Amino acid sequence: MSSVRRIAREEWRLWLRSKVVVAAALIVAVLIAVTSILTANRIANEQAQRVEQQVAAEQTFFAQPDRHPHRMVHYGHYAFRPPPPLAVFEPGVDAVTGQSIFLEGHRQNTAMFADTKAAADLGGFAALTPASLYQLFLPLLLIVLGHALFLRERESGTLAVILAQGLPGTKLALGKAAALLAVIAMFMLPLIAVAAYSVTLGERMLAAFSLVGGYFVYLCAWGAIVLAASVLLTQRAVSLGVLIFVWLFAALIVPRFAINASSAAVDAPGKIESDLIMLAEQRKLGDGHNAADPAFMQLQAEVLEQYDVETIEELPINWRGVVAAYSEAELTDLLNSYAEERMRLEASQSRIFGLFGLLSPTIAVSSASRAIAGTDLATHHRFLRESEALRFGFVQALNEKHAAELDYAIDMNRNADEAARLRARVNASAWQVLDEFRFAPDGADERLGRAGGSLGILLAWLLAAGGIVLVAARRVRL
Amino acid sequence: MTSPLEAKSLSLVREGNAVLDGVSFTVARGEIFALLGGNGAGKSSTLLTFLGFLKPSGGEVLVNGQSVTGDVAAARGAIAYLPEAASLYGHMTAYENLDYFLDLAGKPAGRADLDAALDRVALPAEARTRRLRSYSKGMRQKTAIALALLRETPILLLDEPTSGLDPVAIDEFHDLVKALAGGGQTVLMVTHDVYGACQVADRVGLLRGGKLVGSFSAANGERIDTETVHAAFAERQAA
Repeated sequence: MSSVRRIAREEWRLWLRSKVVVAAALIVAVLIAVTSILTANRIANEQAQRVEQQVAAEQTFFAQPDRHPHRMVHYGHYAFRPPPPLAVFEPGVDAVTGQSIFLEGHRQNTAMFADTKAAADLGGFAALTPASLYQLFLPLLLIVLGHALFLRERESGTLAVILAQGLPGTKLALGKAAALLAVIAMFMLPLIAVAAYSVTLGERMLAAFSLVGGYFVYLCAWGAIVLAASVLLTQRAVSLGVLIFVWLFAALIVPRFAINASSAAVDAPGKIESDLIMLAEQRKLGDGHNAADPAFMQLQAEVLEQYDVETIEELPINWRGVVAAYSEAELTDLLNSYAEERMRLEASQSRIFGLFGLLSPTIAVSSASRAIAGTDLATHHRFLRESEALRFGFVQALNEKHAAELDYAIDMNRNADEAARLRARVNASAWQVLDEFRFAPDGADERLGRAGGSLGILLAWLLAAGGIVLVAARRVRL
Repeated sequence: MTSPLEAKSLSLVREGNAVLDGVSFTVARGEIFALLGGNGAGKSSTLLTFLGFLKPSGGEVLVNGQSVTGDVAAARGAIAYLPEAASLYGHMTAYENLDYFLDLAGKPAGRADLDAALDRVALPAEARTRRLRSYSKGMRQKTAIALALLRETPILLLDEPTSGLDPVAIDEFHDLVKALAGGGQTVLMVTHDVYGACQVADRVGLLRGGKLVGSFSAANGERIDTETVHAAFAERQAA
């Protein structure tokens, strides 16, 4: 047996004979198992639920009776963002961005949150996810196990005996690293199981196992940091204290600071704030419900000229429908310009936040994790764009029906009496203009491309910490 | 002929303090050389420079004629080292400790060899499967000595080897060291036990304040006179 494997085996023997170490590992293992099962169950339910809700919303829309087409514009529709398969491990931004949107004419509504079915969720316990355990708790376990890996030998005097056997310090360090690596490999098993489960839910193998690889590199980087402290420092208590501080810094302080710093660097107004700012500009566009609004005079002239008629009553199409379509297009341009600007600013904030991965591997892994899982901000933005395209599509299709299938005179007299109201309708078959909407995560290649920078940072962390361990171990003194 | 161990004008400065100052000696093959000195005299530091754990500030140390600084691995491969604290693993049994350290040294041994070495140091058979945390200091010391024996290296470095041993065990240990030297092993031991040094060593050097201030040899097959050395030791200590 090679000396590296032998050292690793003896380290394991020590750990297994230590009740504290076994208890700590068991607690974390149980926590991971329970959280993985609960999160997988919750996400699978949510996924099924949102797909069902999407289908139900479409069926409800299609099932509407004959109506005035503009009533259907306001009847609206829903777009749901089902969690992608890897959300069973990494729910990502789901909890803060909302997962469904009510789509209607003249508005881009804010994404809503799913209603909670269990009161216990209101306590925030659902926030404990497998991803957060891997990002926060496993490094702590590695600190507990590894802070004294080298120091214990130094403090007990066995380091001298080991080195006196002719074993180089680097081999001793590699043996200790192998022991930690085995711990990491063992704790990768639940993640591998979750990744395999996500594949059965439709996830691509490449994405699922890239996520596993990313976390493996992350935990190896932490293992190297822990080992480096154990080689470089001279007292066990100091090593533990320094590593706990590094953990607090990387896992709590830097992320908190990074959020504030990215918000301060890029001032992105929220949805509500930008809606308020936009209102003034929106008013200039005219009221699409009022075909006589002066804002539409030029349009009226153009349309009359196009159809070579003198009055809107002579038009072969319903002028109100034309105005509604025109107004919707103008308004949507305005809404989209604000939405795109807001998303651009949010994406900039997200990029700045990701750069803080250079100070904290926890930030790097969380960014990579969300990107690979398809639960990142970019995916949410795509959901917003696609749901907006769906909204604009069905609203304009209804406006076209309004213009083409409903007579202008009937439309204008719709409020005269009940009979007039009933005449101002189009056939329910017109509601089939609504496109089917099934939001799906990006392809694995695209998600990996987004995660590339963060994965690179993680690798740099591993190489830097591993390099420090090897250099320090080569120069190890008693 | 090359001496297995040689210190040439060895100086060592640690944290601004001169620990060793121009120490020179050689230890011949099969010779037992004891370095005597009080606390802080530089005895253990001398051993650690031969193992490459401490780098000389001046002069050099040679193992089998080769500079330790130039090839630490070769030096450590030729030396079995018995530290003062008999530092072994408390969570392992004697067998497990020996098996582990011999594996690291690249000299794995079977259970029979381990038993033979443990028999030589008189560690009770019933204790060998117990974890070392239940051992007395003497029993731990015996296990560490067994490890040094099992290495079968041409050179033995012993740091206060009889510390913690009872008088009978000390006599047995001295006999063992003499037998090893008789078999050609070179022994450098450091101790502050004047009587023990004189009992076992062929030559005794007096170390004080990092300097080698005296040397005594056995003549005509007799042991070094304890009283002479003791007097010199006391005189040098008082000086």
